[in-house]
Amino acid sequence: MARKAYVSSVGFTPVGDHWEKSIIDLAVEAARGALKGSGVKNPGQIIVGNMFSAVGASQEHLGALLASALGLSGTPAYKIEAACSSGGAAFNVGYNLVRSGAVDSALVVGVEKMRDLEPEEVSQALAMAESAEYTQFVGATFAALNGLLARYYMEQKNVTRDELSSIPVLDHANAVTAAHAQFRKAITPEVVGRSAMIADPLRLFDCAPVGDGAAAAMIVAEGGASAGKGKLSEVLGGKIATNEFSIYERDDMLDFKATRDAFRGATAEAGISPKKLSLVEVHDAFSVVGALSLEAMGFSKPGEGSRDAKAGKYSRGGELPINTFGGLKARGHPVGATGMYQIVEAYLQLTGQAGKNQVEGAQYAATQNIGGVDSTSAVHVFGRSS
Amino acid sequence: MAIRHWRVKDRYYRLIGSRCTECGAECFPPVYRCRKCGSEKIEDREMPQSGKIVTYTQLHEPLPGFEAQAPFYLAVVELDNGAKMLTQLVDSTDESVKTGAKVVATVRRARVDGDSGQITYGYKFRVT
Amino acid sequence: MYLMQSKERAAIQGYGAYVPYYRLPTTEIAKVWKGGGSGPNVEKAVAAMDEDTVTMAIEAGRYAMKMAGTERLGAVFVGTESKPYAVKPTSTIVAQALGQHHTLAADLEFACKAGTEAMQIVTGLVGSGMIEAGLAIGMDTAQGRPGDDLEYTAASGGAAYVIGRKDKKSAAVIDCSTSFVSDTGDFWRRAHERYPRHLSRFTGEPAYFHHIENSVNTLFKETGHKPSDFKYAVFHQPNPRFPVEVATRLGFTMEQIKTGLLNPLIGNTYAGSSPIGLAAVLDEASPGDKILLASFGSGAGSDAFCIEVLDGIAATRGVNPTVKSMMERSTRIDYSTYSKFRDKLHK
Repeated sequence: MARKAYVSSVGFTPVGDHWEKSIIDLAVEAARGALKGSGVKNPGQIIVGNMFSAVGASQEHLGALLASALGLSGTPAYKIEAACSSGGAAFNVGYNLVRSGAVDSALVVGVEKMRDLEPEEVSQALAMAESAEYTQFVGATFAALNGLLARYYMEQKNVTRDELSSIPVLDHANAVTAAHAQFRKAITPEVVGRSAMIADPLRLFDCAPVGDGAAAAMIVAEGGASAGKGKLSEVLGGKIATNEFSIYERDDMLDFKATRDAFRGATAEAGISPKKLSLVEVHDAFSVVGALSLEAMGFSKPGEGSRDAKAGKYSRGGELPINTFGGLKARGHPVGATGMYQIVEAYLQLTGQAGKNQVEGAQYAATQNIGGVDSTSAVHVFGRSS
Repeated sequence: MAIRHWRVKDRYYRLIGSRCTECGAECFPPVYRCRKCGSEKIEDREMPQSGKIVTYTQLHEPLPGFEAQAPFYLAVVELDNGAKMLTQLVDSTDESVKTGAKVVATVRRARVDGDSGQITYGYKFRVT
Repeated sequence: MYLMQSKERAAIQGYGAYVPYYRLPTTEIAKVWKGGGSGPNVEKAVAAMDEDTVTMAIEAGRYAMKMAGTERLGAVFVGTESKPYAVKPTSTIVAQALGQHHTLAADLEFACKAGTEAMQIVTGLVGSGMIEAGLAIGMDTAQGRPGDDLEYTAASGGAAYVIGRKDKKSAAVIDCSTSFVSDTGDFWRRAHERYPRHLSRFTGEPAYFHHIENSVNTLFKETGHKPSDFKYAVFHQPNPRFPVEVATRLGFTMEQIKTGLLNPLIGNTYAGSSPIGLAAVLDEASPGDKILLASFGSGAGSDAFCIEVLDGIAATRGVNPTVKSMMERSTRIDYSTYSKFRDKLHK
């Protein structure tokens, strides 16, 4: 019988340009926050979620390196990689280890150092999440794949430019009051629609920015020996699912099957109806990905994700607030850390620590973290602890 | 050409993909297991050299090594046998690149290795 | 006797041309380097930045194999002076892309006549019974030094020929040919140099005219043929003027050479020049028509052929795009785009 698992504290850095900090500086900063708040001195396991430290920082072996830096050598530690869903995947491992009884506590740290690279090097590093032989080979970046997807979505579902812009606009509005967000300035649909063309029809403001960051959470078991202190949010469910690897290999490019399956699995494990969710942190690495994710999770009908956002359904104060601290577009998207930022934000909401971004009376929250173009999706469901 | 490209040169030059010997489904890139029926009885098969555009984009900031060609078109193309693949489009006017437009395969330089100077050749398509 | 004739006749079973999509009007070159005006030709064909002799040879080779209906080639020869690699064969890449492994593959270099000598060699291999069929390609992405007179004409393109044993399906029989060579340094490129060098007026009389007149007159003398026996004649075309002049000297009319005279609109495709002229003629010729083909390569030499169109030509129509249609499917570029495409800008 599985035990209950909780997040008992979190730590994180702002997302942005951390010129003075190395990848391990960032990871230590976030990890210390989570350790301190939880009162757990010796976690049973350390897991690092990271996508491309080898390329971005010429550094692998992040698990032992972080354990040693924290003065916790001896602790089992390793890195989990699942492209942009590395953070969500790392958390899922920690959650299952604690839940199963293998360990009483697990420290999960998502970290990415992107700014040491030139923009084209970042593109190359991100493209490694796609097939070297058939996607990188043709020069396609992640933005290109999402450009192909966006045109298909707009043509098939009659989605307009303004509608597509609605999720980036929503993200920026939410980030204005989010201290850790990378871009804290409100924008209009016109700003999105006039920004530089990246991969037609996608423009600069359809795409999440590049930034450094680290976010961490302590997972503890109910009644475990090292439960420590800290406000608790229960991890009610967590699932990872995969899709046919590349969009061009799928029967229906608009069906985010990995997200659909992971969301169904996570809510079933949590035993709650999706209707009960107070907020969702959605992986909107590109505007179109946000819309298709909302559709895959069933919050919007197929083709309606952007239109529903435009109508205010997903804004703060709307039917289902999403991306309450700015999402990937405005809080930022330090890829391997993103999934952990989402979890940190869900925790802040459910423990009443979200400040000006607080969703009043938040009871349940979900986080959805994608790797590739829905090649992997990690969904977790959290509840307020009484 | 890099060794990892040498290994798949027939796939790049001649569009050698997969055919399921059980249900006949064909696809490119190749697979280990049939996506339609699940069979592992897969053989190499040369794909038809023509198809139509399913969706496309014009890429302004491509991967390193492709900058000189930018901006260029990329498309998901459905070949005449139903296989869907990702490809660059060449020698095609802005007006001709449209969803549903007919395309044919050609072989072009895919990339030139910066240090070794080795050239990798491979498929690209053009609108007919 | 100097005539070369295989004991068993070899024939063109299929052919394919390739003209790249881009055209540079010579007014663009004149504007940059000569203060205005234009070159001797109207425009020239320019390969895209991701094209080279390999990619264009594959295109033409595929067309030729499709027309011939053959999947097996005993030989693949690529005649070119613009090999992508100084060391590493062009022909093996082309052979691989055409699905050929048990094949004699080689690159030939003889300035502008490497394509026709490939045809002679394959004819010999077929005629001797050593191979059933082989592929002879003349293809170039010809380069001229920026500002040099050569730059007006140096162009990209060429043609490929599947040559096999003469049968009912043959499009045209290669009846015989001659070759005439001498040590004449009219045009050359040393190793490690980017662009060829040439002597201006010397490229005419002692080079182009002397060698073509010798190869063609030898062919006439030893076969008994005369200019009026030929419906068409194709001469190497380094510019629009030389082929007209040599035709006149040898007794041919404009009517006989106009179909294969492509230089004004595509320029000089070097090793591809006379082969693609022949392809344009075959696109229009009828059974029984005789064609005289004479190449010229600096350094120097000329190959002259007597080719006769056969009944099989009818079945080749519509299989591939015609040379004319490839010339028409084009778009104009300016000098700066051309410089980028042809690697004349160094970062």
